[in-house]
Amino acid sequence: MKEIALPRARVTLSPYRIGQIVIGALFIVFVAWRLYTVLVQGAYGPDTWMRFAISGLIIGAVYAVIAIGYTLVYGIMFMINFAHGEIMMIGAFSGYFVFEALNTASVGSSATANFLNTYPVISIILAFLAGMTVSTVGGILLERIAYRPLRGAPRLVPLISAIGASIFLQNAAQLMFGPGRRNYINPNLLSRGSGLTLMINDSPVIITYTGIFTFILSILLMIGLYVLVQRTRFGRAMRAVAENKQTAALMGIDVDGVISQTFAISGTLAGAAGVMWGIHNGIIYHFVGFIPGLKAFTAAVLGGIGNIPGAMLGGMFLGIIEAIGPAALGINFQLKDVLAFSILVLVLIFRPSGILGEVLTEEKI
Amino acid sequence: MNTSIRKGLRSGLIFSTGIVFLVLIGFTTTISELIAEGINLDTTAGSTGNVYALSLFLGLLGLWAGARGAEKSEPDTWSKATVGGLAAGVALGIVMAVFTWLLGTLSAAGVDLRKQLVQFSKANIDFILFQTSVVNGALMHMALFTLSGLAGGLIARGLRGSWRESLRVWWASQRDRISQTSAVEYLRTSTIARYIYYGLLLVLLFLIPSRLGQYWNFTLGTVGIYVLMGLGLNIVVGLAGLLDLGYVAFFAVGAYTIGLLTSPTMHGLTWNFWLVLPVGILMAAFTGILLGIPVLRLRGDYLAIVTLGFGEIIRILVKSDMLAPFAGGPQGVRDIAGPSIFGVPFSDERDFMYLIILGILLVIFVTNRLQNSRIGRAWIAMREDETVAQAVGINTYRAKLLAFAIGAAFAGLGGILFASRNQYTGPEDHNLLVSINVLSLVIVGGMGSIPGVIAGAFVLKGLPEILRQISDYRILAFGALLVVMMILRPEGIWPSSRRRLEFHDVPEEAPPEPVHPRSADLPETAGLDATSDVPVSTDVAGEM
Repeated sequence: MKEIALPRARVTLSPYRIGQIVIGALFIVFVAWRLYTVLVQGAYGPDTWMRFAISGLIIGAVYAVIAIGYTLVYGIMFMINFAHGEIMMIGAFSGYFVFEALNTASVGSSATANFLNTYPVISIILAFLAGMTVSTVGGILLERIAYRPLRGAPRLVPLISAIGASIFLQNAAQLMFGPGRRNYINPNLLSRGSGLTLMINDSPVIITYTGIFTFILSILLMIGLYVLVQRTRFGRAMRAVAENKQTAALMGIDVDGVISQTFAISGTLAGAAGVMWGIHNGIIYHFVGFIPGLKAFTAAVLGGIGNIPGAMLGGMFLGIIEAIGPAALGINFQLKDVLAFSILVLVLIFRPSGILGEVLTEEKI
Repeated sequence: MNTSIRKGLRSGLIFSTGIVFLVLIGFTTTISELIAEGINLDTTAGSTGNVYALSLFLGLLGLWAGARGAEKSEPDTWSKATVGGLAAGVALGIVMAVFTWLLGTLSAAGVDLRKQLVQFSKANIDFILFQTSVVNGALMHMALFTLSGLAGGLIARGLRGSWRESLRVWWASQRDRISQTSAVEYLRTSTIARYIYYGLLLVLLFLIPSRLGQYWNFTLGTVGIYVLMGLGLNIVVGLAGLLDLGYVAFFAVGAYTIGLLTSPTMHGLTWNFWLVLPVGILMAAFTGILLGIPVLRLRGDYLAIVTLGFGEIIRILVKSDMLAPFAGGPQGVRDIAGPSIFGVPFSDERDFMYLIILGILLVIFVTNRLQNSRIGRAWIAMREDETVAQAVGINTYRAKLLAFAIGAAFAGLGGILFASRNQYTGPEDHNLLVSINVLSLVIVGGMGSIPGVIAGAFVLKGLPEILRQISDYRILAFGALLVVMMILRPEGIWPSSRRRLEFHDVPEEAPPEPVHPRSADLPETAGLDATSDVPVSTDVAGEM
């Protein structure tokens, strides 16, 4: 509701505006104070900052890939696909099983050579194929079962259904795969810990191969998606549906089909992100998708939800903030999740449309 | 004929996916034990009681699959139903036979499936093969599902006979006859009768805890605390339409307030319980306002995420090392004081049960008064359409803040009772699952309906206590229930009349809903006519 601008209208401070100002001021003072103390103390050298920045960029790239899934679905359906993180988890587990199977499969006559390390590239491709396929199917099924029957229902209804689907998938995974954490077996080519070494201030900064791989693959996926959305016929249909479903349908676009395909694409990306997450971080369990999912949602909001470059930018930004933030503010690293959520709250308070976001039309709100 | 086969195959494939999933999560084993126990089969080692129970369970699923395969189509012939049911059964049988054969063969070849899929121990795989050889087990699956699918199809066709319609008509007439009897009418509408009900209920509420042992009082006490929180969240979600996924934050504020103020080990403070009670409730309400001021302008789904984030922030903060000297860190706070009256401490679960019941009655009273007040109507208007609500002069921001604060206060009360009863509170008491439990019970029970919330709490928190064996599957079932409820019955199991009308148009034969609470006081002619579709308000009645 816009207020009618009367000439010489008295400026009144609503409690909301006061709250905004107070919170903003507190935040700025806090950040300035902490930054000042940390920098004066000089607790970390440039090499350490470099390490933080690199790990932030890598995680940020994965966040960006997941965030695109949220943004795509939000752009079309105006709903938060709460179960997106779980779709990622399914993908991570699929890749894990492929690696496990190939690790035990022996090649040729020698008993020691297993498929995983003899053909590492093929193994990795197979793992990604499996993860992406399973997640794609998962995304399509999720839409068909939990969201399609709710088309046209009040907004809360599909959101609650999404929360239900998320809980369901998490617990199904726990019951199937057990509550324990599992180590992702990488091929030796991508063994964790090894990497390129940079010398900064005479101290080594290792950029792991898994990190490089994850970062490059994420960028490729993002470019691929961007081309798909901007340059292809399907992308045009998708943008049309996002703009206006009725008009798109009148132009001969199969709206249900496009929605289903959107879920498929966001599932594919989530699956790839899941396998990357496993390869890079090395540990997966049934809950692995939840926090990255929330973070990626934060990233999507940060960049402007519904906006694909925004999601990419938001993901990178969030990854870096999360890696550097606790050190820069001199707070405990246990609190990095708090930092991410605080940023979400701050963004929503001060710029709900996000960094690159457009002002949403009334209908989309 | 082709369509029947296709329909049957479809049903069979959907059900086989479901059953494979149930086997994967180990539910078949658990439910078989439960069934065997329930119908008194011999379940000692080496006996076949569990296997009979398993075939019973799978057979019932087969019946269902067959019935779905033989769904109604025009013309509705027996042969079509037979074909549909049979197709469903055969499809289901083939999938299950292949699946179990695969499992059995792998297991016999010495592959340890359990390493990857925890449910597939040797014993469980033998069990799903009916404790026979691999081939026999697979064939038994084939036979069982084919037969049960066929039977399901036939039964479904049989149940569709014309007698069903006449039964429904008979039941409707009986119901009308009973409800129109003057005695029933009197019992339903008279004020005196209502007070008698309330009195009886109070006596029951007083008697029940004294009859129950420690265990049941404890369990019901937990259910009661969830009722309390559910009623609070009901105001936020059900009435005001604000989806709050971080409700546990206010619960934590209440629990930690009493913890820090009464536990001598933390800060050496030993406040009295009755003094902490208002302080904690106010603290929770204050936190609600504090959180509400910045976030309540946000759209519904953003609000959900922000509140979820906030709930997590509170948990991570109290768990962190940074706040450990203040809030006890991961170990939590011990030795929290319990209440006492005239120097007599509450030592028993039963005493707490009374306290919780008292709390619930208070909260029900407050909710009821709020719901039918000006602010309650403002909330409902806001839930339905915020712009319109603003246009008719409701300060939506203030109404939202008030809803948030009141909801938070109830959660704070719940937290105080919970921490005080357990004499302990720690970060893991306040994880996301609590928020989700409370939200589920509000939604499953019926948003905006007080009896619905109570029913939801008993179904979601009470039933799993009774069915201890399946408690592993409780949260899974929550998730599935949320989705299924949203699809089939978004208004909940016991909806408020307003919401029921909102989601479904009034069916023709439905008993008339009082549009206005006082419509019973109006003259005879103003009573609602079941056959008229015009909603009769008091104004219309005046013209008649």
